[in-house]
Amino acid sequence: MNDIFWNVGYPHYLVLAAILFLIGTVGVLVRRNALIILMSVELMLNAANMTVLIFARMWGDLSGHTFALMVIAVAAAEAAVGLAIVVAVFRGRRNVDVDRLTTLRH
Amino acid sequence: MRIIALIVMGLLAFGTVGGAVAYAADPPSAVPTAGAERAGKQVNIVKTTPHMDRRESRPSSDNPGTALLFWAFAAATIGGALFVITRRNLIAAVMGMVGSFLGISAVYMMLYAGFLSVVQMLVYAGAIMVLFVFVVMILNRPEDEPVAPSGRAGQALGGIAIVYLVGRLILLLINVRPPRAETAIAAPGPITLNVPGGAPEKVEWGSVKAVGTDLFGPGLFPFEAISILLLVAVVGAIAIARPLHASDEEGTS
Amino acid sequence: MNLNFDPKDLGYLAPYLIMTVSGLLLVLAEAFYKGKDRTALVGLAVAGSVASAIASIILYTQVGPNVSQQIMGEMLMYDRTSYVLSALFALTTAVAALMSPSHQREHQWVIGEYYGTMLMAASGMIMLAHAANLVTVFLGIETMSIGVYVMTAMRRTSRRGNEAAMKYFLIGAFATGFLVYGMALLYGAAGTTSIVAMRGTLASTANPGLVIAGGFLLVVAFGFKVAAVPFHMWAPDAYEGAPTPVTAFMAAAVKAAAIAAMIRVFGVALGGDVVPFGALGWASPLVVIAAITITIGNISAVRQDNIKRMLAYSSISHAGVLLTGICALGLGSITANPAIVYYLIAYNVTTMGAFAVVAYVGSRGRERLLVDDWAGLAGQHPAAALAMTICLLSLGGMPPTGGFFGKFYIFKAAMDVNDGQLLWLVLVGVVNSAISIYYYLRIVTAMYFREANQPFTPTRSGALVFVMAMCPVLILEMGIMPGWWLKLV
Repeated sequence: MNDIFWNVGYPHYLVLAAILFLIGTVGVLVRRNALIILMSVELMLNAANMTVLIFARMWGDLSGHTFALMVIAVAAAEAAVGLAIVVAVFRGRRNVDVDRLTTLRH
Repeated sequence: MRIIALIVMGLLAFGTVGGAVAYAADPPSAVPTAGAERAGKQVNIVKTTPHMDRRESRPSSDNPGTALLFWAFAAATIGGALFVITRRNLIAAVMGMVGSFLGISAVYMMLYAGFLSVVQMLVYAGAIMVLFVFVVMILNRPEDEPVAPSGRAGQALGGIAIVYLVGRLILLLINVRPPRAETAIAAPGPITLNVPGGAPEKVEWGSVKAVGTDLFGPGLFPFEAISILLLVAVVGAIAIARPLHASDEEGTS
Repeated sequence: MNLNFDPKDLGYLAPYLIMTVSGLLLVLAEAFYKGKDRTALVGLAVAGSVASAIASIILYTQVGPNVSQQIMGEMLMYDRTSYVLSALFALTTAVAALMSPSHQREHQWVIGEYYGTMLMAASGMIMLAHAANLVTVFLGIETMSIGVYVMTAMRRTSRRGNEAAMKYFLIGAFATGFLVYGMALLYGAAGTTSIVAMRGTLASTANPGLVIAGGFLLVVAFGFKVAAVPFHMWAPDAYEGAPTPVTAFMAAAVKAAAIAAMIRVFGVALGGDVVPFGALGWASPLVVIAAITITIGNISAVRQDNIKRMLAYSSISHAGVLLTGICALGLGSITANPAIVYYLIAYNVTTMGAFAVVAYVGSRGRERLLVDDWAGLAGQHPAAALAMTICLLSLGGMPPTGGFFGKFYIFKAAMDVNDGQLLWLVLVGVVNSAISIYYYLRIVTAMYFREANQPFTPTRSGALVFVMAMCPVLILEMGIMPGWWLKLV
């Protein structure tokens, strides 16, 4: 136990990222507000990005940093489009609860 | 409400100060400071590709500060993330997210990804979260139903499956073996860049110069191509979110 | 420092560059366009796509059958498959653009940014056809997906359109999370993001568990993108809510581009003798997903009264067949690659044809999507009914059409895998082809043997009629002379 606490290595970081990914996934599945779902997706992307950087450090390979930079840029673009869609939906129906999107259900 | 604000402020201060402390505690030195012997060893190594030279690894029990910082930032990251998925109040969720991002940024710093750490702080904690706050303000309805109503059998099953899979994943990750035996994460040595018409130059691993060398070398195509993606996002976001009858009001444009 | 960049490489990227530049020009043209009728931009969109397709075909003739070359710092590669697929994506984009102006006019959602977005999304698809690195696979998928989210949301007055866009976006973003995490784990196992280098290093990795987990996450992520069954719930809603030309684009080009990425990721990076096999290799979950995708897609399609939803479920079951092909490819079947490419071409042509008829029948704000609306179509508009019949027969895999040979070659490739491992999957596929004929024929009988409710005027558009005429001809051509198409790659 002592060793696990003081001797922080790659597994610690990897598990941290995995827990963050889990929290993001649970958030997407449990929450109904589109904004919170979008934030949970951002958490998932961050967890994945952290994993990339951990492995980049582990392999001593800088191309992981390029990948991580791309992911950050894409996440920003995705957030912009997602928020635009949220605003458009809100304009039509005054709420952004995904359970109330039922026009298309048959 | 005030308690939430205090927690968030604490997280913010914690993340910012902590990132700096983590960096100061164990900086990836361009000029090795750990003794002439080691410095001599590193000067002899000349690499053409941006791979780092490693210092001798050492157990981090030598440096309990690193372990303490890791646990602190891990707590900030996880705590902020839990805040996001449990709060009813959207602003509180966004602030928890900011705290989580600052923790993540500090963790990046501990992984010697200095440039990415700063980018994370600027782009995520700065830009993206401001965007979220704006949309929360536009919607002007901070309260919303917190969790799904019960009786969603499919969702519960999916949740159990995902928890199980992540459990398996964590077991797997605990046993990850690095390519070379290292008991702990040591500071990476500098990488050597070949400067055309000059002496080889040493730069810090994960610094702007090192990342830039990779980004404008092999990563040139994705770097250029991502501009198209950003353009689609900008044009698309405007096309979707502008008021419905904008074209009538604007006239010719 | 070597910049890894050779200006000559740009020549090999001509299809991508032409598509991108046309997209940029369209965005500019939209900004400075003075006229009221923005549908005029379609000319530039079609010209750009066709030019990109011609460039692909010219470059295709310059590349030998077994040449595979990496360019742009090993981020991209070109071979015959990539040029055939980029020509396919470009032509599908051109057809989708041709279908759009009349639909925009009839259903009143004229919006100038539409064509620029469509072409830039198509440039993402072409990037996927050339991708040789996880970074470019990711970028290509995201460029394409973000473009299509935007296109889905562009019919802004329609609540259904917004709702479809929201569902599609949230599920797509969720899938992106899985995609990046899976790529991260593969990167951890291999130490490189290059797909070609990965094939060598993954076989001898010190952490096989990471390969298994990464492969599984990628199966999930691509399952979302191609709408394979446990991950398909967004597809019928998104297909129904999106404007018909966008639905056609999503069903044909986006699915084909995701499969193109799978050809690279699962066929090259994760293929070979070591990685896919074993109790936990990625092939076992993918085989199961393929089987249930074919079955559930078909069974759900039987119950649908809405033609767009029916076509959505049909496209889900087609995704299952394509996943069968991907399994065969990863497990080392030599005939799988040409079979998948043939299937993609046939499937794209058929889908565009079918949706063109759907767009033709709906007019003046009424979409006429129910099977009852189509009753007696053959009496009023015999040509449209004939075109739809040929497309439906091809979707159902009836003999003289491209769809039949597509399924035939994919199943044959699956049989070529060692020890007949995929035999049961082939049997599932064949049984399902028989089931699927039922619901396709239901529309045919409605069109030919039922009384018409009331006469209506379909959409008047030369471009639409051209698409409706070309697609059935191509389908029959592919079905009667499949040999030439099969030898493309």
